[in-house]
Amino acid sequence: MNVLSLSIREVSHALREGQLSPTELCRKCLNRIKRTRHLNAYITVTEETAMRQAQEAEARLQSGTPRGPLDGIPFAVKDNFCTKDILTTCASKMLQGYVPPFSATVVQKLLDQGAVLLGKTNLDEFAMGAGSTDGAFGPVHNPWSDAESYRQHGGPEAESDWVITGGSSGGSAAAVASLSSYFALGSDTGGSTRNPGALCGLVAVKPTYGLLSRHGLIPLVNSMDVPGIMTRSARDAATILGILKGQDMLDATTIPSPPGQTDLPEDFDIRQITVGIPQEYHAPGLSRETLRQWSRVTDLFEEAGVQVREVSLPHTQFSIVCYHVLCCCEVASNMARFDGLEYGHRSPESSSTEAMYAATRHEGFNDVVRRRILAGNYFLLKQNYERYFVKAQQVRRLIAEDFTKVFSSGVDVLLTPTTLSDAATYRDFISEDNRTRSAQEDVFTQPANMAGLPAVTVPTALSSRGLPISLQLIGQPLQDRKLLAVAHWMEQRMGFPQIRFHGDCGEEDGAPLAETEGTAGP
Amino acid sequence: MVGVVGLEIHAQINSLSKLFSGSQVKFLAPPNSLVSCFDASLPGTLPVLNKRCVEAAVMTGLALNCSINRKSLFDRKHYFYADMPAGYQITQQRLPIAVDGTLTYSYLGGTKRNQMVTKSVRIKQIQLEQDSGKSLHDEPRNQTLIDLNRAGVGLMELVMEPEMSCGEEAAAAVRELQLILQTLGTCWGNMAEGQLRVDANVSVHVPGEPLGIRTEVKNINSARFLARAIDYEIQRQMELLEQGGIVQNETRAYDQKSGTTLPMRDKEDFQDYRFMPEPNLPPLRVYDSASVPAGLDPSQVVLVDQLQAGLPELPSVRRDRLVQTYSILPEHSFTLVNEDGLLDYFESVVKSTKAEPKKVIGWVMKELVGSLNQQNLQVSQSPVSSHALAELLALLEAGSISSSAAKR
Repeated sequence: MNVLSLSIREVSHALREGQLSPTELCRKCLNRIKRTRHLNAYITVTEETAMRQAQEAEARLQSGTPRGPLDGIPFAVKDNFCTKDILTTCASKMLQGYVPPFSATVVQKLLDQGAVLLGKTNLDEFAMGAGSTDGAFGPVHNPWSDAESYRQHGGPEAESDWVITGGSSGGSAAAVASLSSYFALGSDTGGSTRNPGALCGLVAVKPTYGLLSRHGLIPLVNSMDVPGIMTRSARDAATILGILKGQDMLDATTIPSPPGQTDLPEDFDIRQITVGIPQEYHAPGLSRETLRQWSRVTDLFEEAGVQVREVSLPHTQFSIVCYHVLCCCEVASNMARFDGLEYGHRSPESSSTEAMYAATRHEGFNDVVRRRILAGNYFLLKQNYERYFVKAQQVRRLIAEDFTKVFSSGVDVLLTPTTLSDAATYRDFISEDNRTRSAQEDVFTQPANMAGLPAVTVPTALSSRGLPISLQLIGQPLQDRKLLAVAHWMEQRMGFPQIRFHGDCGEEDGAPLAETEGTAGP
Repeated sequence: MVGVVGLEIHAQINSLSKLFSGSQVKFLAPPNSLVSCFDASLPGTLPVLNKRCVEAAVMTGLALNCSINRKSLFDRKHYFYADMPAGYQITQQRLPIAVDGTLTYSYLGGTKRNQMVTKSVRIKQIQLEQDSGKSLHDEPRNQTLIDLNRAGVGLMELVMEPEMSCGEEAAAAVRELQLILQTLGTCWGNMAEGQLRVDANVSVHVPGEPLGIRTEVKNINSARFLARAIDYEIQRQMELLEQGGIVQNETRAYDQKSGTTLPMRDKEDFQDYRFMPEPNLPPLRVYDSASVPAGLDPSQVVLVDQLQAGLPELPSVRRDRLVQTYSILPEHSFTLVNEDGLLDYFESVVKSTKAEPKKVIGWVMKELVGSLNQQNLQVSQSPVSSHALAELLALLEAGSISSSAAKR
């Protein structure tokens, strides 16, 4: 069996049993990264650091003192998390050459557990986008573009007509889906972890807001951002969540995590769960295949004796607009610090400080970022503040209350689509601009960010194009463990196939996957 | 026409570390040596509120008879300037920590400057906010040097209602505030070192008519200059209006050398600060012992009643006590408390002599303070120690020397 396609649990077991060593494992992953370079999933590969960490893990394992379930396990981190002494770019020219002097809390926790950092993954610039196509280092390819299933269904054009990962954490999703990494950190503001997770066939989690520390996560929308977890099983996700959660003195928006177990319960009885199906999530543009999966899983729950009922979240239709307003406002504010003075790109323009600021920011940011800054500044003007910002916050409260009402009526989790359909080809995706695509794609995911709720995407089946279709579960605040238990139950019954690469004999050191290498250019 | 003066005061909080980060607060350190990642606005850093700063603001509010808001909020005030790395300042615009207080102040007025005049001014609010860094303009090299040591230091901004009418009142109010802050220990109050920064909003009008257009006067680094700047500005505006001119709503800098106010070169167009709630800081809650919710970590709790009980003896209370205890005039008590070290001097003389305090005060006030002022000396530099004076007074009491001899 290809060791790279094992779950964390399985490979951790293999390491402890001595079936392979952390350095061997690390080397395999690094080789895999080299072979899949054309995916453009990584911005920085930290080969030396990784091997060193693997050696340290090896020593611990040999002396029988592993730090925990993640000791020696290779992982990747989205490039908007600060990593000490390692280049952190947010896929933006603005942070070219920026090396932070500290690591994000969640990254440090993983390193403290002995996990092995392979590198920093690609994204939409400053996490703004739903395709991972708008970064300074070029777009990310969905590994399923190279999958047997896609190639078979797509015919000869499929090879050049590659599909996107979704965004903005596309690099992290590609790293895990291409089997070069066992798990990866993403960030989720409007769906940025769940969207690419869904399109790449992964289990991707958005935890309850405040459960995981944001210290070191370069912010997009402070009141909605969370670190996200991408991996290939719900059980693995629960293990990682258990390690990452916890109040952090460096982040005043974190809350004490609920006490008790973090690993999934062994004896979970799904019949105690009530599942809600929100009627407003039958969105325009929802593909027939996704709809069919939604019905399939609904039926599955019912057959298993789970209470399923239709519910209403009446303010859903306003969510995307409010999200956009609040997002732009926070972006305008958060991006104000990028002026070229203390770090990052600085324009050679020096006629005045203001001229230098303007030139630096024009050169450093792509037009997606600039557009949001301009919009955000407009909404925050004194004369507009009440009408836009305050109004959006008020509606946000209504959206959150929709969920509260439904949950207090006895519903434990909601079942919805994660995305409108399977992954689009790059060609199709870029035929509309970033703003339009974000508005379309974020429909199912951003309400959970608005309300601070935990949510997870689970792959269910392959589409007629041979690409993953996934569904989303949204849970009650701080009920992340219960949510993942339901996800685990679902996962076990989906029969979602493991990825098989075109031309691959199942051995990780098999034939190269693509004829052409190199990035697909900006 | 009369002058209308309102003061906006920024008091640097006396704390070991900054308002939202753990870097040290220290005057005079090598440039950019007291700068944390957060102060430098490195992306991914978040503000962490300093408890001592909150306590300082509450104590100051209590000492000024303010209502302490049990819940207050933080906001971002956006503007681009090199000494504000984040592109915004964290402040309390919507709901500050303390509101509706009073500052009672006195000065020696009247023709002989020996009559106590007591007034009060309302404090509109006290808010916590970040200080900015410092810019040093290097004209010859056409560059600006930025020192972020001060960036992020905690400030209490005190806003006073425009209820004063001249420089003398403003100076007296500031002096009293300095005393209070120093007594509390919440701010050293040294204007020359920038620990207390006073901006004056000045306008003129005919009483009964609407207020005139005001100017903001900055760059004042002592109470004395404050009085001069305000009086000059009031005069300037009155003359301008009498000549048929219009007062511009502008910012003016006080120029020490000429004793005048001048329009500041960086004339800002109307600034829209695009205020937005600070999303990384939950509402600030302070409690009373009786109403602390269960389960809170005590180290995370600021108790208003405890701070109230622990307040030291404030200057006004002290003055009253001295008048009661020693049967001295309020004017004398005022001077005793206001002059650095004079009270200690007085009390040590009183302790070592059988002479009545009323007599001692006369010597201290007239002879000692008089000659110290003549020679421009501080009390600590007095050539006559308190023991010496006590001895002298003992001799006088005993009749060994005459009063005129003692004066010499």
